[in-house]
Amino acid sequence: MSDERQPSASLIRMWRVWRTTKEMMNDRGYQVLEDDMNMPLDEFADKYGRADGEPDRSKLNFSAQPGEEMLAKYTPVATKKDPEPRPQIGTIWVEFNSDENVGLKQLRDYMQHLVNGAFYSGIMVTVKPMTGMAIRLLRGSATMSEGPKGGVEVFVEQDLLVNITKHELVPKHVLLSEEEKQQLLKRYRLKATQLPRIQSTDPVAKYLGLKRGAVVKIIRKSETAGRYASYRWVI
Amino acid sequence: MPPKSILKKTGPPMTERNGRPVNQRHLDVALHHANILEQRKAVEAQVLDSIMTLMEYPPSPDADPKRPSAADARDFTAAVAAFQPADYDALIEERNIADKCGYALCPRPKMRARSTAKKQFVDTDKGVEIVDRKVLEVWCSDDCAKRALYVKVQLNEEPAWMRTGGHGEKIELMVDNAQELRTALPVRTKQAAPAPVKTEEEEDLDDAWAALDNAKTELALERGEKPGAVSKANNSLVQDTIKEHESSNAPPEPPTLPSGSTMAIEGHVPRHNRPKDEDEDEDEQDWDKDLNG
Repeated sequence: MSDERQPSASLIRMWRVWRTTKEMMNDRGYQVLEDDMNMPLDEFADKYGRADGEPDRSKLNFSAQPGEEMLAKYTPVATKKDPEPRPQIGTIWVEFNSDENVGLKQLRDYMQHLVNGAFYSGIMVTVKPMTGMAIRLLRGSATMSEGPKGGVEVFVEQDLLVNITKHELVPKHVLLSEEEKQQLLKRYRLKATQLPRIQSTDPVAKYLGLKRGAVVKIIRKSETAGRYASYRWVI
Repeated sequence: MPPKSILKKTGPPMTERNGRPVNQRHLDVALHHANILEQRKAVEAQVLDSIMTLMEYPPSPDADPKRPSAADARDFTAAVAAFQPADYDALIEERNIADKCGYALCPRPKMRARSTAKKQFVDTDKGVEIVDRKVLEVWCSDDCAKRALYVKVQLNEEPAWMRTGGHGEKIELMVDNAQELRTALPVRTKQAAPAPVKTEEEEDLDDAWAALDNAKTELALERGEKPGAVSKANNSLVQDTIKEHESSNAPPEPPTLPSGSTMAIEGHVPRHNRPKDEDEDEDEQDWDKDLNG
């Protein structure tokens, strides 16, 4: 038997998912170590592989703090009533669920964990899509008192194998802060409803964790103008 | 300074907005539909809630699915009454994920297949069959499967917020102690203390009002409404004033052709269909006709 251990297919898969997740957190503005995003496969296998060559998902869980820029971006505009608004963002907890099927029970346990750990929001990465009822609970959880303040997002591992924002056909999306949004609307004398729209279920919108009501700036390449910016309202 | 109320002042209904008069009927229609949507959301939330409670059913670990306790049976049938078959399937799925038998009144864990292979051999009357492991690991026994499916076939396909009442609301369980359950219905509470004596006239009046209320609630039940829910009959939207068509005694007229030319195409009468005398007078395009003729 050779000394060199060949990583299993599932480990390679997990490595890619994990890297994409780290990149996603970085793109959203959380503080992520540069080394984590560029971790080579060997190191990943050493750190998170089990003896049988399978990835150990429970070791992969991590939390991330929002960076300075992100905090500023998520801070609402100061008003007379609220002269020093608090940023609408906080620590996030990312969990890699190893269960074959994820139902209401797992989702509720996860929400409970987020609340107990005082996390602002959470991302759960599952092996397979959740059950229908769990999705229904997730949809309703935004208005529920249960669960964390910032909501819970659920991704399937398969959707994170590739970082979609690195594809050449995907333009750059930049979330506007509340202040920038107001400036935009004032500059063009618009109401938010008059902007073009983007669905919150759009893959890039999900990647950036866009919430309903936010405005995103989309910068495309243009043959004639070099760059062309458009704005979309998240619904 | 007295505290200022943050509630909106309830004045007379708004009849103008941005200077334009508001059509009261449009407002009513919008409100009616919004209420229906709200009711639908409430029903969906209720179904989700029921599934979450039924996931951890039955409350006692030594409950017997053949002879459920009266309280369990009552709660189960009440919760399941609002389900569609698809919701019931979702409940079974959720219970299986929690490693429980799919029948909500059974406390045992689901059956374990002999191996973790995807397909399994099963001995049946017809011989050996190959079955998905998932199908095999749903119930704890065939008996539970039968009891659970007995409930499923009674569920109403129609979503709960669209149901018209009267039928299919009562779910029966397949149990061995049916007699016990029937006798253990909730006892009726004692009647309220007798009201102060009234004169005969007052009593008659009250009786009449009570009869009206009774009739109204019965009618609402028949429409499938629950107390407190939005009424499906909207007084302001559907009016019960009857307008009669006036009938005249004049004999019916036979249909006639419309006056003027019947050959007109969108009002234009083509040249060769025009009456001859009209064509005779001086025309700008006479030369054209001569050339062709």
